[in-house]
Amino acid sequence: MASRVVTVERPPRLRAVDTMGPLLIVRGLLVTARHFFRNLFAFMRGRRTIATILYPEEKMAWSPAMRGMPVLVQMENGKERCVACGLCEWACPVDCITIYPAETADEIERYPEIFDIDMSRCMFCGFCEEACPEEAIVMSQRVAIATTEWRGSLWHKRDLLVPVHELDPRLRYIRRGYDRPDVPTPAQTAERLEKR
Amino acid sequence: MDAGPTNPSLTNDLHTQPMEIQMGPSHPSTHGTVKITLKLDGERILDSEVEVGYLHRGFEKECESGEWYQAIPYTDRLNYASPMINNVGYCLAAEKLFGVEAPPRAQYLRTIASELSRMADHFTCIGASALELAALTPFLYCVQAREQIYDLHESLCGARVTTNYVRIGGLQSDLQPGFAELCREKVAAALTLFGDVDELLTKNPIFRERMEGTGTLPADALIAYGVTGPLLRAAGVGFDVRRAEPYLVYDRLDFEVPVGSRGDNYDRYLVRFEELRQSARIIEQALRDLPDGPVDLDDPRFRWPAKGKVFNRMEELIDQFKLVTEGMRPPAGEVYQAVEGANGELGFYLVSNGTGKPWKCRCRAPSFSNTQALRDMIQGALLADVVPTFDMVNMIGGECDR
Amino acid sequence: MSDGEQAPSAAPAAEPAVLARLRVRFPDAIVGTHAYRGDATAEITPAALLDVCTFLRDDPGLRFDFLADVTAVDYLGSMPRFELVYHLRSIVQGHRVRVKTRVSEESPRVASVTSVWRGANWLERETYDMYGIVFEGHPDLRRIYLYEEFQGYPLRKDYPKEKRQPLVTVRDVAPEQGERTVAREQQRYGRWPD
Ligand code: SF4
Ligand code: SF4
Repeated sequence: MASRVVTVERPPRLRAVDTMGPLLIVRGLLVTARHFFRNLFAFMRGRRTIATILYPEEKMAWSPAMRGMPVLVQMENGKERCVACGLCEWACPVDCITIYPAETADEIERYPEIFDIDMSRCMFCGFCEEACPEEAIVMSQRVAIATTEWRGSLWHKRDLLVPVHELDPRLRYIRRGYDRPDVPTPAQTAERLEKR
Repeated sequence: MDAGPTNPSLTNDLHTQPMEIQMGPSHPSTHGTVKITLKLDGERILDSEVEVGYLHRGFEKECESGEWYQAIPYTDRLNYASPMINNVGYCLAAEKLFGVEAPPRAQYLRTIASELSRMADHFTCIGASALELAALTPFLYCVQAREQIYDLHESLCGARVTTNYVRIGGLQSDLQPGFAELCREKVAAALTLFGDVDELLTKNPIFRERMEGTGTLPADALIAYGVTGPLLRAAGVGFDVRRAEPYLVYDRLDFEVPVGSRGDNYDRYLVRFEELRQSARIIEQALRDLPDGPVDLDDPRFRWPAKGKVFNRMEELIDQFKLVTEGMRPPAGEVYQAVEGANGELGFYLVSNGTGKPWKCRCRAPSFSNTQALRDMIQGALLADVVPTFDMVNMIGGECDR
Repeated sequence: MSDGEQAPSAAPAAEPAVLARLRVRFPDAIVGTHAYRGDATAEITPAALLDVCTFLRDDPGLRFDFLADVTAVDYLGSMPRFELVYHLRSIVQGHRVRVKTRVSEESPRVASVTSVWRGANWLERETYDMYGIVFEGHPDLRRIYLYEEFQGYPLRKDYPKEKRQPLVTVRDVAPEQGERTVAREQQRYGRWPD
């Protein structure tokens, strides 16, 4: 196996006949017409082949790997899973996370009293999710987070909390390589929610 | 070259003087933020000055103030048309400095990622060139083809452009199931679209007349300017870092390095064109040979431990805390590692003083040296030749200005 | 050029040969050499830079025709403070070398290598822009990324990352051209209230 150096072939020099207008137009139109009719027939058969997405009405189908805005996992008891260890704050390259820890009587003992993410600086890099030892901050599929005032881009804890069952696809994606026995599987979660 | 008007009797009667015009910084027919000050006599370029720096963001200063791993997302933003190659280049340089090597599966996946990015970059370059020469349809097809590649980026790492995929000692994540089929399908779809671009552009006389014979510079002048990549190969020099100094698994793959014969813009276009096909071949071979195994180095000094262990075991939890807060600590020293970027030799020069932060993180950007040669390429040419030449130089602002 | 069929890679054993050759030719100019991680590196005295570079380019056994990169490193605290780093490669023969030289903070001046490799022009301008190192003999030493009024050199280690720059006032273009511009703008938009 090896690489070789080859000289690319140049098409022959232009002849007068090549530059004749009508012929050229026909040749170009054949290509575009092919696309047009392919799309048209597919449309008539109800199977879209054009690449354009009619955005607000239609959304893109994202793969589960998609990294959108980071959010906090909210457990079924309504509290966050975060233990305010501060690793995500360290790992964030642009320092957009601010955490003020506090103590709680729960078994996790610590929780973030304040957990702010400055979304105008966040670049959706995913380091916070990778650093978190608790699976408490994950990348959601939300991307439409524009605001009309700059204060609106500072997200507080109550805005960031997302119920765990809504984050199931992502949690399942990041748990591909391992099991987490103390965390209920998505099926169990759904079951428990139904019982409630 | 005679720069004046051709009819001498005209010059005697008319008082003419060179005209200075500014092209850019955001000119509709240049796909980069650059200012070209042209001194014109009629339509002929007497002299020009290229000014860059409009996209300067302080890449090096930013890298020096973070941990080693925190520079990776910034490298995405260097050449944003081919982000994976920058990730790979930086991580290879860091691994050389640390003295580690990623597992074979990671090497193959990095190769696939690099070639996907190279395809995306060439699609952008060719599509934008066609657009700037007033051909809208090839641009749309190219962008559609690029979207196929971005779908694969998304499947690999979750982001379409700002990938942040490669890690020092591994990768962000392993493949999703079914990636190989998806990859073959999307690359084939992209190449089919590109076949249409080929039909529309390659033999098109208007396109050829604007590309042929323009922007030529002899090979030794290009080398003296530090020009690399498709530009240099179009002039007949078969220098490709993938072949000359194989990194990753390129020495195990079978591919061709296309070179041109005349070194004009048309050759540059053809070389890029052929490289696209070769990239597809490389991806196919790498997918075929892709070994099983881990994608991450199992070494708590360099790579964050696997999440499953962090959750269930004490040592790994401590490792995780130490690695995130202190960063990995390479030995003191300096390395330079070059990879073949989409526009030429992309090098990273890293200096470490033994702490968790880079002392110096320098990126040798191919676009920077390539843009420098633009002045000589358009000297004495017509004003209309600036556009195809600039297109084929393919200056990417994010990389040129860092 | 017909070097399309060059050998795929230089044998690693060939690397120190570059250094040995340099040492024979310039016994006094070499301050030190190393090949950390296989990168052949020669540190030379700043006075010999131009001679060494010309030799590296022209010597038939070396032929470093391709200047990949010029940059500087700020070793704040150590004695000659700045180190200039040149990365060279021979396209024809396929080997690389790194040439370094140190200059002091008080007189950060070094000879320009633009006469040896044309491509050094912008690379040296960038180094001047970022570190304030003056390249003597450079045809056009101006800032390249930043604007003329920028104060300080941002990649020096004692330049804080968060430092703010003063706002720049209107720049004096060629006087008569500037007047014309101002007159035209006033005509179009009215006068700016003083
Ligand atoms: S995604 Fe990246 S930038 Fe955003 S909060 Fe997490 S670590 Fe910070
Ligand atoms: S790393 Fe996880 S547990 Fe620690 S503070 Fe951040 S979100 Fe909370």
